[in-house]
Amino acid sequence: MTDTRNRITSLSTSEEYIELHASSAFSFLGGSSQPESLVERALELEMPAIALADRNGIYGSARFHTSAKLNKIRAHIGAEIAVSSFGSRLVPPTWLPNRFPEEPPRIVLLCTSQIGYQNLCQLITRFKMRESTKAEGAATFDDLEEFSAGLICLTGGEEGPLTAALNSGGEEGARKSLDRLVSIYGRQNVFVELQRHFEREEECRNASLIEIASRLDLPLIATNGVRCATQEDRELLDIFTAIRHHTTVHDAGRLLCKNSWRHLCSAREMLSQFRDIPEAIANTRIVSERLEFTLNNLGYEFPHYPVPNGETMDSFLAKRVNEGIRKRYLHTLKRHLLERAQKQSQRELDLIAKLGFAGYFLIVWDIRRYCHQQGFLVQGRGSAANSVVCYALEITAVDPIGMELLFERFLSKSRGEWPDIDLDLPSGDDRESVIQHIYKQYGSLGAAMTANVITYRGRSAAREVGKALGFDEQQLARLSGLVGHWEWRGANDTMDKHFNQAGFDVRHPAVAKYLDLCTRMYDLPRHLGQHSGGMVICAGMLNHIVPIERASMPGRTVVQWDKEDCADLGLIKVDLLGLGMMAAIKDSLDLIPPHYNTQVDLAALPHDDQQVYDTLCKADTVGMFQVESRAQMASLPHNAPRCFYDVVVQVAIIRPGPIVGKMMHPYMRRRQGKEEVSYPHPLLEPVLKRTLGVPLFQEQLLRMAMVVASFTGSEAEELRRAVGMRRSMQRMRDLEGRLRAGMTRNGIGAVEQDNIVQGISSFAMYGFPESHAASFALIAYASAYLKVHYLAAFTCGLLNNQPMGFYTPAVLIKDAQRHGLRVHPICIQRSEGQCSIDHEIDGSQSVRIGLNYAKGLRQSSAAALIKAREDDGSFRSVDDLVRRVPELNRKELALLAQIGALNSLDEVKHRRDALWQVEEAGRPVGPLLRNSPSESDRQSRPLRQMTTDERLAADFAGVGLTCGPHPMSYHRPALHQRDFLTADELTRSDNNSFVRIAGCVIARQRPGTAKGFVFLSLEDETGIANIIITPDLFEHERIVVTRNRFLDIEGRLQIQNGVIHVKAFRILPIEISSAGVHSHDFH
Amino acid sequence: MTKASNPLYAAFYAAEFPAQAILRLRPDLHSKSVAILDGVTPKESVCSLNLHARKRGLALGMTRLEVEELGGIQLFSRSWPTEQSARTVLLECASQFSPRIEETYADNACGFVLDISGTERLFGPPMQIAQSLRTTIITAGFRTSICIGLNFDTTRIKAKSTRGITVIPPDEEARAIADIPVSALQLDEEHYETLALWGIRTLGELAELPEEDLVTRIGQQASLWLRLSRGTADHIFQPIEAAFELKEHIEFETHIDQIDSLLFIGSGMINNLVARANNRALCLASLTVRMSLERSLHYERVIRPALPSNDRKFLLKLLQLEIGAHPPQAAVVSLTLIAEAGQQSKVQLGLFTPQAPEPSRLDVTLARLKALVGSDRVGSPTLLDTHRRDSFTIDPFRVPDQPSPKNEITTRISLRRMRPPHPVRMQIQAEKPAVFHDGGDLYQVQVAYGPWHSSGCWWSVNHWDLEEWDVMAINNHGERVGCLLVHDHLNHLWLLDALYD
Repeated sequence: MTDTRNRITSLSTSEEYIELHASSAFSFLGGSSQPESLVERALELEMPAIALADRNGIYGSARFHTSAKLNKIRAHIGAEIAVSSFGSRLVPPTWLPNRFPEEPPRIVLLCTSQIGYQNLCQLITRFKMRESTKAEGAATFDDLEEFSAGLICLTGGEEGPLTAALNSGGEEGARKSLDRLVSIYGRQNVFVELQRHFEREEECRNASLIEIASRLDLPLIATNGVRCATQEDRELLDIFTAIRHHTTVHDAGRLLCKNSWRHLCSAREMLSQFRDIPEAIANTRIVSERLEFTLNNLGYEFPHYPVPNGETMDSFLAKRVNEGIRKRYLHTLKRHLLERAQKQSQRELDLIAKLGFAGYFLIVWDIRRYCHQQGFLVQGRGSAANSVVCYALEITAVDPIGMELLFERFLSKSRGEWPDIDLDLPSGDDRESVIQHIYKQYGSLGAAMTANVITYRGRSAAREVGKALGFDEQQLARLSGLVGHWEWRGANDTMDKHFNQAGFDVRHPAVAKYLDLCTRMYDLPRHLGQHSGGMVICAGMLNHIVPIERASMPGRTVVQWDKEDCADLGLIKVDLLGLGMMAAIKDSLDLIPPHYNTQVDLAALPHDDQQVYDTLCKADTVGMFQVESRAQMASLPHNAPRCFYDVVVQVAIIRPGPIVGKMMHPYMRRRQGKEEVSYPHPLLEPVLKRTLGVPLFQEQLLRMAMVVASFTGSEAEELRRAVGMRRSMQRMRDLEGRLRAGMTRNGIGAVEQDNIVQGISSFAMYGFPESHAASFALIAYASAYLKVHYLAAFTCGLLNNQPMGFYTPAVLIKDAQRHGLRVHPICIQRSEGQCSIDHEIDGSQSVRIGLNYAKGLRQSSAAALIKAREDDGSFRSVDDLVRRVPELNRKELALLAQIGALNSLDEVKHRRDALWQVEEAGRPVGPLLRNSPSESDRQSRPLRQMTTDERLAADFAGVGLTCGPHPMSYHRPALHQRDFLTADELTRSDNNSFVRIAGCVIARQRPGTAKGFVFLSLEDETGIANIIITPDLFEHERIVVTRNRFLDIEGRLQIQNGVIHVKAFRILPIEISSAGVHSHDFH
Repeated sequence: MTKASNPLYAAFYAAEFPAQAILRLRPDLHSKSVAILDGVTPKESVCSLNLHARKRGLALGMTRLEVEELGGIQLFSRSWPTEQSARTVLLECASQFSPRIEETYADNACGFVLDISGTERLFGPPMQIAQSLRTTIITAGFRTSICIGLNFDTTRIKAKSTRGITVIPPDEEARAIADIPVSALQLDEEHYETLALWGIRTLGELAELPEEDLVTRIGQQASLWLRLSRGTADHIFQPIEAAFELKEHIEFETHIDQIDSLLFIGSGMINNLVARANNRALCLASLTVRMSLERSLHYERVIRPALPSNDRKFLLKLLQLEIGAHPPQAAVVSLTLIAEAGQQSKVQLGLFTPQAPEPSRLDVTLARLKALVGSDRVGSPTLLDTHRRDSFTIDPFRVPDQPSPKNEITTRISLRRMRPPHPVRMQIQAEKPAVFHDGGDLYQVQVAYGPWHSSGCWWSVNHWDLEEWDVMAINNHGERVGCLLVHDHLNHLWLLDALYD
């Protein structure tokens, strides 16, 4: 100790104290500063190191480490661990009013070595996973003992076990607790923690602790139990405390901080406070020196793929790739690409071997193989589609050679990052099976989902701060409603402007404080969620690398870091994303062989099917992936796709990025020949030729840099990332300098250089990866192909995977019927659990709606009904149904009768007749009479048959759709007399003519980019009409537009290249049907 | 139209009652669109509206936001007191025609059925009665529909479902209500849905269903529905009873300015109240004393004994102490005593339970104390849940649920607070208090412990930021004192806050 003291005297004052007990906002409502803020504050205070110890986790450690590394401060990693074996933490006595909940005391554990870190991770994982659901959890003495090596234990402040023991058992009690910690961690690893926050009770406890430490000959250590970076952050800390305890700051009382001394103090302040116990300060330095572990030394390894003897992962991968290349490219249509593919694959394999990524590719390949074995559709998306290796391994379906995609966008030598492969899987059970397979394969502690840190945004901050400050609900609703629009408004919109707009006087101190707190709270973590599909896999135990805890979803676990943290620390994730359309396509493919006597291979779809392109050109795309939205439909006739690449462009171009980046209109004009195709420089013609001189894709940016400035692929990728992220101005300036130098070398003039640089800068922000667009285009094309050629199977697939896409099942069915498909309603004698395919007398296919569409019919009842039918044949009467399927309750029977599902029974004349019968048959009967036939008079049929409108209403109420004629068709003769046109007749009308149309509203949109214009989709029996409503008209008729299901609209017809709109002048409600049709509204 | 022995009923119904109750007092709004909102913000919705508002597209259940978007609508919050007084006015109107009145609708509507059997001689034939009733009601500011008939429920249903005046001839009940929707029967949601599914929309359609089959499907209640829809349902008339109110009121011919005189009268009033309460086996839980005073002053005090009591002397003593503690500021013009009835307290005494004084004696003692020191200074201090020093409230005495455990006798230092604290002049040395002056006395600080910081309520004007020091000091008389010094950072003040005993 003396040596250390001597050494410390030679240090500057600021270096004498290291804060070893600091919590960040990642203690989730237990701290109010970002880890980065703590590091920045430590830097200001010239503190050479700082330890982060968040409650029951290391959630913020990755960011803390990254920030500390950047600022050249040593980041010590630790955690506050709740220990239930110590009983309860200190709470005020019962006679003192307080709201303290009972919770276990917390000790601080700091990692001295990698073993210590691994033990900490395992310890946290152990008690978190002991919980059956997502919960805080607490360790026991057994847990501490098992994972004690490599850790230094500080006894904690007022929330620590010694404080609690002093209160309940006096010094003797505290000594016992301390003995227990010493027996677990060893004498040299336990430090009695002293904190001084200028409180009498604390000082009294400190006196006892000093006495006990002296008696047991244990070292003292000073900390400040930091909860925020600066004194000002105490306010936010109090707000968090109120939120955490579901109260307001007015009522939180003693839960709040007693004073503002929970911040990161300077060494000078700490020296002054502990001038009577200098060794407590000196020991911070000693402990800091012992904490050698940093997150640089994580010890993470991606799992090795088991390869046969004599093989390395590289050689094994090369063999699989070569097999794949032959399989893919020996096909007649692709044979000419074989040589190029082999050359490219060799180049990629060399780089993969050099970077040591073979295992990663093999594991993703293995997942893909598992999916194929199980019959799950799987397809890689994103930049992986740039790789011929991925194509050969059948991870992706896009041929990068045939499409001339650029590998460097996916993987480059200079990037120093693992590749990122996203796999699309059918959403639902298939995806869950794959996730569970990975858990099974790598063990529950070898794989986990990445976390998603939910942070405070405008609306949540406004609401929760307002609640904590005790604002009344009306004020809160007004404010948070206002704040809700922040995210899609312009960048110039600020919180104070919105407060002003809402009529709040920001000069009023209370409002000003509220506003200030909202602003400061923005982006602070709120709780931990689960990432939609990112899964981290580890060689060995993942719980040695990062703690794992239960997710809210049963059967799922998450690591304590989000995907950026995982990427920063080199943890590799595989994204398993669910895609409804994949599930629909898979179901369609399964239905085709038994009902069409043919088989469709998704990988071998002909990409030159003119029928498919004709359909796309007509924007007849309801139900198709990515091209069914109103905006897509409006642009399809302009783009008029005639080959697969046109579909790739179509998928990419109707997105906020290209639209905001002003790429869409130039491309469309050139596509229609209204504008001449030109290039910024003749050298760029080969690069931009496919997109008519308009740069659309990120890969084109890379190629442009490679062509004009002779950049390598890696340099070009670096340029793209620099421009796209706009993080480092210096880095961008360097790259621009190199770009210009390269262009000068290639003889490009100054003006052209400016144009090229300008072009690169503007579209880098908005460009879309071509590979990603190509992957999505494959699915879009497949969906179009299936719809055009196998309508029944495709419709069935769509209906069985709802909700998905842009349209409701009712609209999908009406669209299918317009395309000639017969759709039959639910029938107890024919319907399966899901929608199925029936065969008509003429051999054609039709769709039968499944029992799953009957709203309110339990799955178990439906299954029992089907089983009874399969076991003993068709049902003969209502009584027979009731007797054989006792699982059906009265409500379910009434539902089936109401929707006409019982109409096929012999004694049933119509729906109401069925309703009358089920009400009697469904009455509760004792067991003695249950199986005896009813003697009631079946001749009594007092109810009238449903009218057409009643039938429609019953269909929409009970099934959400109708298989009969469209509601509008019943009124058509009358509407014709009143000069209403149908949607189909609009196509044959003159441009700019005055038209009147009526229909059912199936979608309402008011996009943020459309300056208040509203777009309605109006459906009738002949198709869908698109209506444009000006902001003025909308304001005037807001109620009519938003509340009515059927509308009568007068307006001017606008026809441009086959795209038809009606610009509304007048809107009225129209009485068509009382049916509860639903519109898909986007705001 | 009817024989004297036949029952005859007149029903009237005021729709959109929350709106009518407000609008009858605001003729300036009669030509405007008015909607009444009910519910807690921000979930307020329209509960009632006038015809103009309905024409503008407003509907029941719309939220405030939706209504505000429309613009031009006068919005009012629902007022139960206004509705209550409007109901009383309607009741008074009805009571001019019959003493037997039954209320038939509540919540958003107001409706009454009057038993007018045998009133033809007084008011004329049914149509004339209906018109007189309508005139009376219109004069009071309401719009109602009126129906007269032989069947209670038929007239009630018809009045609610049609406008204007209807007189149902004998044996025409079923026909009179045949077109009325089945919702008039106030069925529960499930049965209403069932009938809707069956396509049974009107009472006429319902009346045609076979009773046996219907009872088989719905249950016995269907039988009542059928009788109602056929106009044959029986009804036992339940006239409105006057509310039981314990209230005594007296106005003085000559104004009283002596408390004794007032108590003399008050004593008689208390006797009456106790006797009336006793008749119903009740006690007086509280006694509200109201006086009208000269110069239009108003006086009101509430006496609430610990337990409800019917001890006249005890209640009179409380009244005396209360008036003594808060004497009226002018001569008394009238006196009103309103008692709140409570259940008689019954305490089961154990055989071996020690004798305790009666609770009423404590009440009297407390009342005496309050009269002496003020009511806000009698009770037991309760600490508040806050870090702010010296924070407590005085709460009324309470008998603890459980006896508090016996404290061990320990020696403790007591803190004697100075209220208010003394401002002192302070000299600081080495960041610690060294010397302070309290008035003429000079204190030399010998030992100082601290500082102890405390701050809070940063979100309000009541925020504080204090630094406390525990010091041992010796004054210029050689006396040693232990005291608590406070440095108020916000007001830049040093205060002698307390002394350690």
